Amino acid sequence: MATEVEVHVHVQTHDGIGLIRLNRPEKMNAIGALTRQQLAEAIKQAERDEAMRVVVLTGSGRAFCSGADVTEMVQGAGMRTPEDVGNVLRNEYMPMLTRLRTMSKPVIAAMNGPAIGIGASFALACDIRIATPESYLLEAFVNIGLAPDGGVSWLLPRLAGTGIAYEMFFTGKPLSAADAHRLGVINRLVPADRLEQEVRELAGQLAAQPRGALAGAKRAVTHALESTFEQALEFESYLQEAQAASPEFAEGVQAFLARRAAKK
Amino acid sequence: MAYEHILVEIETPIATVTLNRPKVLNALSPDLIHELTSALADLDADESVRAVVLTGGQKVFAAGADIGDMADRSAVDQLSRDQTGRWAPLAGFSKPLIAAVNGYALGGGCEVALMCDMIVAGETARFGQPEINLGIIPGAGGTQRWPRSAGKYAAMEVMLTGAPVTAQRACELGIVNKVVPAEMTITIAKRLARQIAEKPPLAARMAKEAVLKAFEAPLAEGLASERKSFYFLFATEDQKEGMHAFLEKRKGVFKGR
Repeated sequence: MATEVEVHVHVQTHDGIGLIRLNRPEKMNAIGALTRQQLAEAIKQAERDEAMRVVVLTGSGRAFCSGADVTEMVQGAGMRTPEDVGNVLRNEYMPMLTRLRTMSKPVIAAMNGPAIGIGASFALACDIRIATPESYLLEAFVNIGLAPDGGVSWLLPRLAGTGIAYEMFFTGKPLSAADAHRLGVINRLVPADRLEQEVRELAGQLAAQPRGALAGAKRAVTHALESTFEQALEFESYLQEAQAASPEFAEGVQAFLARRAAKK
Repeated sequence: MAYEHILVEIETPIATVTLNRPKVLNALSPDLIHELTSALADLDADESVRAVVLTGGQKVFAAGADIGDMADRSAVDQLSRDQTGRWAPLAGFSKPLIAAVNGYALGGGCEVALMCDMIVAGETARFGQPEINLGIIPGAGGTQRWPRSAGKYAAMEVMLTGAPVTAQRACELGIVNKVVPAEMTITIAKRLARQIAEKPPLAARMAKEAVLKAFEAPLAEGLASERKSFYFLFATEDQKEGMHAFLEKRKGVFKGR
C-alpha cells in the first residue's frame, strides 16, 4: 500500500509568479525534516524554472513560519547530536538561503504572520518583504540557549543595523511589523485581508519588467556585498555593457522615444 | 588546419582558442590535447598574433579529463601515454595567454587555467581539483602551481577535500585576476589580450619569461636572468621606438624587432 506523503510545501506558478507556500498551518508552518526536503526542492525549482519570473514565499494560516520544528528536534528525528544541528544548517539551510538571496529573479516574502527563528531567516533572505501589521520578526534562539543561525548574523545587521540586530539576538524579543517597517526591514505593511492582492499586484508588476534588467540588479547587489566600491563599479560597468547589448534595452529605448509602453 | 575538438579564431593581433566538446563539458581527451597543443604551436610561430585567449565558451571551461577513458588503464599504460606530460607546449607558450573561465574548471581543466598567464573568471566559475575523490591526485601541475600562487594552506584544502572554490574566493586567493559577469568573460579577456597585444612583443615575451622564472629559480639566478633580458631589450628596435615615442609624446608602433 502506498503511503501518501504529506505536502508541507505547496508550489504553483501562475502568470509568471511562482508561489511557494509553507503548508503546515496546524504547526504554525514549523520546519521539520520533510518540510526542509520539500522546501529545498521548491527553491531549486524556482531558481531553474524560467516560467517563474518572480518568486513569492509565504505561509498558510496564522504564521509565516514559526521556525524549526522543536518537537521533532527533541524527539530526535534526524537531529540527535549537536553535530546534526550543524549539518542541517550547513547542508540543508545554507543552499536554500543562498539560492533565495542570489537567484537571478526577484523573491518576495509575503509575511502573513510571525517569522520566527529560521522562519525569520527565510523572510530576511528574500529581496522584498510585505507584511501584515500582526506579523513580527523574532530571533528566538537565545530563549532556548542558542546563538543566531540561518544567516541572520549577516542579514539583520545589514537590514536593520547592528544595534537592532544585537537587541533582538540578546533579548529574544520580537521586532514588530510596525517597527520593522519604520526601520526599512519590511517594505510595506498591508492589512491581512489585502495581503494576497497587494503581493500579487507587486509580483505581477515585477513579472512584466525586463527580465535581464532585474537579474542584473540582483547580480550587481550580490557581487557588491562581497566587494569594494571600485570592484562594484567595474562589475556594474560590464553588466551594463551586456545589458546595453540586449533586446530589452533596444525595445526600452524605442518605446521611450515613441512615448509608448515597452513590449515585455 | 581543421580541428574537431577546438575552435581557433584569429583576429589579429589576437587569437582565441575555444575548447569545443560541450556535450562532455570539454573533457580533456588525448585528441583534444593534441589539437590544442598543435594549435598553440602554430599561434606561437605566427608573428601576426601577439596574445591568445583560451576559453571553454559560455558554459564550462573544462571539467577535467575523460574518466571513462582512464578508469581501467594500468600505471604503465598511463606512463607510456603520458597524457599529462603532453601539456608541456601549453606551459611553454611564449606569448601572453589569458584564460577566460566560465562554469567549471575542474581537475585538468583547472590545471590548464593555471598554466595560463592571467585568468578572467565569470561570476559563476568554480575552480577545483577533485582528483582525490577518484583515488588519484592532480597530474598536470595542480599540486605545484596552486601552492605557488594561492599558498600552501589553500592549496592543501583544495587538493585534500576535493571541494571546488568560487570565482570570488579564487580571486581572493590570487589565482583569478578579475571576476566579471559570465556573459562578458570572453569579451573582457579579449580586450585584455588586445591591450597587451599593443605592447612591444619582445618585451612582453621577456616579461613573461622572467615572471615564470621566479617559480623555477633561486632569487639570485632569477635576478641575473632578469638583468640579461633587460639589457638584451636595448638591442631591439622596439626599445628605441618606445623610448623615442615617449619623449616625443606619441604612441609607439612596435614591430617585434
